[in-house]
Amino acid sequence: MGTGITMSSASMLHRENDTAATVQHRCDAVSVSARNWGWRHADRKQAALSGLDLEIRAGERVLLAGPSGAGKSTLLYALAGVLDEDDETYSSGELLLDGAPAAQGRGLVGLMQQDPETQVVQARVGDDVAFGAENLSVPPAQIRRRIIEALDAVGLEVPLDHPTSALSGGQKQRLALAGILAMGPGLVLLDEPTANLDPDGVLEVRDAVLAALDSTGATLLIVEHRLEAWAAHMDRVIVLEPGGGIAHDGTPGELFAPGPVREKLIAAGVWVPGYTPAFDPLPAPGESAALLLEATDLAVTRKRGARPAASGLDLRLGAGEAWCVRGANGSGKSTFALTLGGLLPVGSGTVLATGELAAGTEARPYHWRASELVGRIGSVFQEPEHQFVTNTVAEELAYGPRHAVKPGTREPLFTEREISSRVEALLSRLRLGHLAEANPFTLSGGEKRRLSVATVLAAGPQVLILDEPTFGQDANTWRELALLLREELARGTAIIAVTHDADFARALGAHEFVLASPATADGTAPAAARPGLLEADVRGGTSFLGRANPLAKLAAVALATIPLIASMDWVSSGIVVAATMLALPLASLSVPRFLARGWPLLLAAIFGAWGTALVGNDSGAVLLDLGLFDITEGSLAAGAATGMRAFAVAIPAVLVLFTTDPTDLANALAQKARLPHRFVLGALAGMRLLGLLIEEWTTLGMARRARGVGSRGSAAARLRANLGQVFGLLVQAIRRASRLAVTMEAKGFGTAERTWLNASSYGRRDAGIVAAGLLLGTGATWAALALGTWNLVWS
Amino acid sequence: MGITHQPAGHKTATTSWRVVDIVIAAVIAVSSGVIFWAWNSSHHLLDVLFLAFPPSAALVSGMWLFPAVLGALIIRKPGAALFCEVVAAMVSALMGSEFGLTVLASGLIQGLGAEVVFAAFRYRTFNLPVALLAGAGAGLFGSVNDTFIFRWFPEYTTGMLMAYIGFMTISGIVIAGMLSFLGTRALAKTGALGALASRKAATEPILG
Repeated sequence: MGTGITMSSASMLHRENDTAATVQHRCDAVSVSARNWGWRHADRKQAALSGLDLEIRAGERVLLAGPSGAGKSTLLYALAGVLDEDDETYSSGELLLDGAPAAQGRGLVGLMQQDPETQVVQARVGDDVAFGAENLSVPPAQIRRRIIEALDAVGLEVPLDHPTSALSGGQKQRLALAGILAMGPGLVLLDEPTANLDPDGVLEVRDAVLAALDSTGATLLIVEHRLEAWAAHMDRVIVLEPGGGIAHDGTPGELFAPGPVREKLIAAGVWVPGYTPAFDPLPAPGESAALLLEATDLAVTRKRGARPAASGLDLRLGAGEAWCVRGANGSGKSTFALTLGGLLPVGSGTVLATGELAAGTEARPYHWRASELVGRIGSVFQEPEHQFVTNTVAEELAYGPRHAVKPGTREPLFTEREISSRVEALLSRLRLGHLAEANPFTLSGGEKRRLSVATVLAAGPQVLILDEPTFGQDANTWRELALLLREELARGTAIIAVTHDADFARALGAHEFVLASPATADGTAPAAARPGLLEADVRGGTSFLGRANPLAKLAAVALATIPLIASMDWVSSGIVVAATMLALPLASLSVPRFLARGWPLLLAAIFGAWGTALVGNDSGAVLLDLGLFDITEGSLAAGAATGMRAFAVAIPAVLVLFTTDPTDLANALAQKARLPHRFVLGALAGMRLLGLLIEEWTTLGMARRARGVGSRGSAAARLRANLGQVFGLLVQAIRRASRLAVTMEAKGFGTAERTWLNASSYGRRDAGIVAAGLLLGTGATWAALALGTWNLVWS
Repeated sequence: MGITHQPAGHKTATTSWRVVDIVIAAVIAVSSGVIFWAWNSSHHLLDVLFLAFPPSAALVSGMWLFPAVLGALIIRKPGAALFCEVVAAMVSALMGSEFGLTVLASGLIQGLGAEVVFAAFRYRTFNLPVALLAGAGAGLFGSVNDTFIFRWFPEYTTGMLMAYIGFMTISGIVIAGMLSFLGTRALAKTGALGALASRKAATEPILG
């Protein structure tokens, strides 16, 4: 600290004292100017932006639009100071904030990106709001006040220790905004802040943004595809030209009024307000449309045995029909779609294929092999990358048809010639021909969406199920998607789309299937309330050990473990095991709850004991003869000692695990153990992503089954499927981490000094815990020596 | 002005860690920690394969070594091998490990085994031979730790201990070295490594 307070935070401090009574303090709005500015990313050949000249006055609200690839996000990142310059990047000209280079402007600028999951850094709401202010070395007392003010300004009414993982997407974005406000920035940058949200979430976030800006007066620069919600509240719209420069610059009224500019924007895929691509109404499918799939009194759930997400669902799906599934967040829309798609087992009731779709075989889609499913029901997931399973676009399209089999047999559904003609047709139909050899992961957002639909269509399913296919898409991709699906309908394919997009439903001529709102008393998503895998149990966290410094606990366990490492005897191990059991109440742990968590360790200890008993030095009477190996009195004793030692090494850590919150551990490691905070907090952020990745693992499994990746076959097939899935997860993990790093950097993370909202303390309780560990270690050693069982492993 | 310790223009120092390096390393490490944890609770199922000669169980120990090599190949900064291995060990300990807190020491030593190899090549070469050597280093350090420092196998004869060291080194070469190298190239092809020094890993010469 101390040196960390520079002029700007000092003046901010002053300002805040002046207006301590008002809810939100006004900040000094920042002006932006670009002079012949350009940037090329390290992994690209072409510049994202070049020759940009731009002046934005302090306090202006500017909407930044333009076709994808015009460099909108690059400009925002550069203004946020998170574009890293290295040998392979190239920049030109100047980009200034209030006349100073943008790269030095951290703390003046707040940035929000589109993926809600990577806008959150910390595990608890209060900590997350504080994160940016801590990095700017704002004194803790002031941060506390700013947290309250910021949460108030965005209208997020949850307790400060509320787990961030339990928030909805819209709430997460408002939380991110609160964190930005707490930094007191003069320029707020929003990169498609509502692209991943449903219509209610969009309005929720927009209103929070506008209210916050009304009170702070900061400059706003926002990138969005869907302009409807924002345009009326903007002072100015700037349309970037792909390749460099500004195509149009004016007020929303000027640019969006009927005329050539509006037409040009529409042609470039910009969602200008009031525009939806128009389609002729589709002819209604004949009365005689064949029934393909029937759900009767269906209840759906993600977890076997859990309360169903929705129940009492009845649907009769005929060939050539389109249905759009609607409902509030948490009403079970996606779960319903996954169940219909044969990816989740039914909770109760039935989902049965009929007629042509059943083809006289097993009628329950969940019981089909992946290779039988892929040619009959295709599911398109919300995130296209979840469904990519090969290295090139062409292979990706060929994968489904190549793996599809005739129902109930192992005969291929398509010949090689049919496969290549299907691939060719789709490549040209979706104008992906020039990308045939490209890696699917490297495509643009719109290309990925088109490809993900095409890969599923490639195997010719009779039923197509899509989850929010239009989220975040520009108007051109939207129109192409609608055209493609209309062709499928005309061909007799039945379509179910989970979508909030009423225009899209209209373009498909879809019937509505509305799911009732979740009728729970608490109203929140039930699964989200559980603590994460790595979060301390609520009861453990408030126990005697739960309130202790994590470092003290670790030191105590380390001290008690030393004799166990040094000696292989049952006395010292037995004493440590007994002491651990006696300490369970200090962690508010009962024996059954302890066993619920510690049984794998017990099992491992028994395995170890068994191994030693088998191969250990034989002495004494032979108790059991297994041919090559035998168990003797001597080896049995050695086995018991090995097992007891393994158990004693393992279980004290359970006490620490059960009572320690990773956030507290990180605070202690950085503040008390003086480890570099960048690495400690980086690791903590990585841990927070973990819960997300575990969820993603399940989603990936289903998404890949929908592509025809079988995971129910031989051991080799399972191994291959699992390795592919691990790889898919790693790709998602690294992408998420990259976005999270941008969030953290934009919040000023990475500087040498920072303040801490939660000071890590070390008191008498902690000294006592360390002393107890020391006592246990020496006591166990002494007892083993006294009883003559001490057996140094290095001797 | 805002608090800044960054030089205005160029940040060429290739040895310093950027925020994105730290967070991606952390995510690789944490994911690996979960794999450790799953592996800790399931590898005993394979014990039956190694009953004939128990030290041969070390043939699959590379599963505990891969984060060191994978992390270093992807991040390409000094300390990446060490950081990834230690954080992975820590996560598995936090989730409950049969090795208790001793995994922290094991992680440190295994990570060091890989780290010295990358350091010997001055953090400039990340081709296949270096990856294999780093895997071998992690296996060697890890197995010496198991056999002579922690002495997990007091019942083994010297010959068995030597066999254990040999098997774990081989496992390090294959599982930690080879698989990490292939994995890094495959990841680079997806564009996921675009923000990192390893972004071109897929087009670099394998041996050069």
